[in-house]
Amino acid sequence: MRRTFAALALLTLAAPVQAQRQPGDVARDLPAAVAEDRISVGSDYRGSSVTVFGFNPDRRGRGDIVVVVRGPDKPATLMRKRRVFGLWVNGDRVAFASAPTFFAVLSTQSLSNIAPAAAIRQYELDPAASAELASETPRGSTGADYRAALVRLRRAQGLYQEQIGVTNDDAQGAITLYRGGLFRAVVRLPANAPIDEYQVDTYLFRDRRLISSQRTPVNIARIGIERNIHDLANQYPLLYGMLTVLLALGVGWGAAALFRRS
Amino acid sequence: MIYLPIAEMPVNVLLILLVSGGVGFVSGLVGVGGGFIVTPSLIILGIPAPVAVATGLSQVAATSFSGIMTQTRRRSVDWRMGMLLSIGGMLGISLGVWLFQRLLGLGQLDLVISLLYLFLLAGVGWLMLAESYAVMRGRSHAGVSILRRPARTIAHRLPFRMLFPRSGLYISVIPPLTLGFGIGALAAIMGVGGGFILIPAMIYLLRMPTNVVVGTSLFQTLIVTSLLVIVQAKATTTIDLVLASLLMLGGVIGAQLGARLGARLKGEQIRALLGAILIAASIKFLTDVVVPPQESYVLGGGW
Repeated sequence: MRRTFAALALLTLAAPVQAQRQPGDVARDLPAAVAEDRISVGSDYRGSSVTVFGFNPDRRGRGDIVVVVRGPDKPATLMRKRRVFGLWVNGDRVAFASAPTFFAVLSTQSLSNIAPAAAIRQYELDPAASAELASETPRGSTGADYRAALVRLRRAQGLYQEQIGVTNDDAQGAITLYRGGLFRAVVRLPANAPIDEYQVDTYLFRDRRLISSQRTPVNIARIGIERNIHDLANQYPLLYGMLTVLLALGVGWGAAALFRRS
Repeated sequence: MIYLPIAEMPVNVLLILLVSGGVGFVSGLVGVGGGFIVTPSLIILGIPAPVAVATGLSQVAATSFSGIMTQTRRRSVDWRMGMLLSIGGMLGISLGVWLFQRLLGLGQLDLVISLLYLFLLAGVGWLMLAESYAVMRGRSHAGVSILRRPARTIAHRLPFRMLFPRSGLYISVIPPLTLGFGIGALAAIMGVGGGFILIPAMIYLLRMPTNVVVGTSLFQTLIVTSLLVIVQAKATTTIDLVLASLLMLGGVIGAQLGARLGARLKGEQIRALLGAILIAASIKFLTDVVVPPQESYVLGGGW
């Protein structure tokens, strides 16, 4: 509960500011915040979760909430398997200029009931809407096939998630609504989610129109030995390789010496 | 569970130690480096293929160094032959790493690794089964006759001949260089030390005496894998130090235990068992490429 109050205190302070790039003509003044602003990846990391708190200012509680947790956009390639001499090989390659590496969308009801298709595309509420194709698709397929396949594959890896519905108790699910307009959404980050800067967008829709929104960054970072190893491997690869070999020689020598005596 | 910083996934420590220990045990038992078992095992456990290939090599380096420590005391390494093989190996590595990067960029690396393992495991497994079957049936003398080195092979006829005092040979330098080159390229792409190819080639092609074959092969394996670990760390950043430490630890302990037990067991039975395991593993790779996939799309360039 202490985390809840901390987040509430934070969002009352943060609510009126945030004059960033705004989607359309809508103010980014929805009171919402994230409980974890920094997630640490250590040697015991097995995934984590992001908890979003917010407040629907409508006194009668009208409107729908959409929460999008999004990892950085990166290029991606997708190949369709093709049969060559009885073997299934990776053929028909299609490149995406950018696609979100992680994308979770939680909404109080299905997106098509909340917003028109144009708005879903504009605010990129759907992972398929935010994947940009960079090359022609091969004959006998369309861009939509590849988009759908990308979403399907990443969903199977737990990297793309869609949750719809409202709960009133503490059950983990889509969005939990509390009395007085407070809402909460919990997104599970699997261990294979990329370690990077994330962005949490919270939207309030009413009568199929966007009323207000809020954007909060979340940083996932390696700490301790995980960080040291990763930095060494990327900044001093030669040293890192030699270290690995020295370790191999040491372990090999150690084992030989140990077993010789016994 | 421990999180791997380069593979970016959590793995079960005990499971990895068990696998690497088992591989080390088998390799100590049979007398090979074990790269051709550890890499496919890691792939089957879900480690990305490029990381499995590059990191598996560090276990081979550790076990082969451990083996050399024992072999040199028996004076069973032909250093001159080993150096020649290693020079060929270094050239092969450059080709192999270049191919590795090309295939990685094309998104075909996983497929090529699977296909190569399919043929390799099935081939080596079948050879081992056939050989041990022949020995069990009592036709073992056919295998022993090669030790008399009766025939002169192509290695004796090619130019640039050189004296190898410890092996008692006067042969051309071209076959050892070519052999080393091929093994180096294979090592880079598949994460194997190459002993299982090198040892028969030394016996049948170069006609080296068997008492120096294992030690010399270990020496070449050590040089090639050590160099490859450094080159892969620089070129592809696919070496996971945490995974490597676990593999080395399990591997060397398993190898020493295996070598002790191997001295007391019948070789042909071990070989038959290993052959059967390898063929079973190759079937897994076969189904991956032959059975019509349920999901016809695949994500590429993850690594």
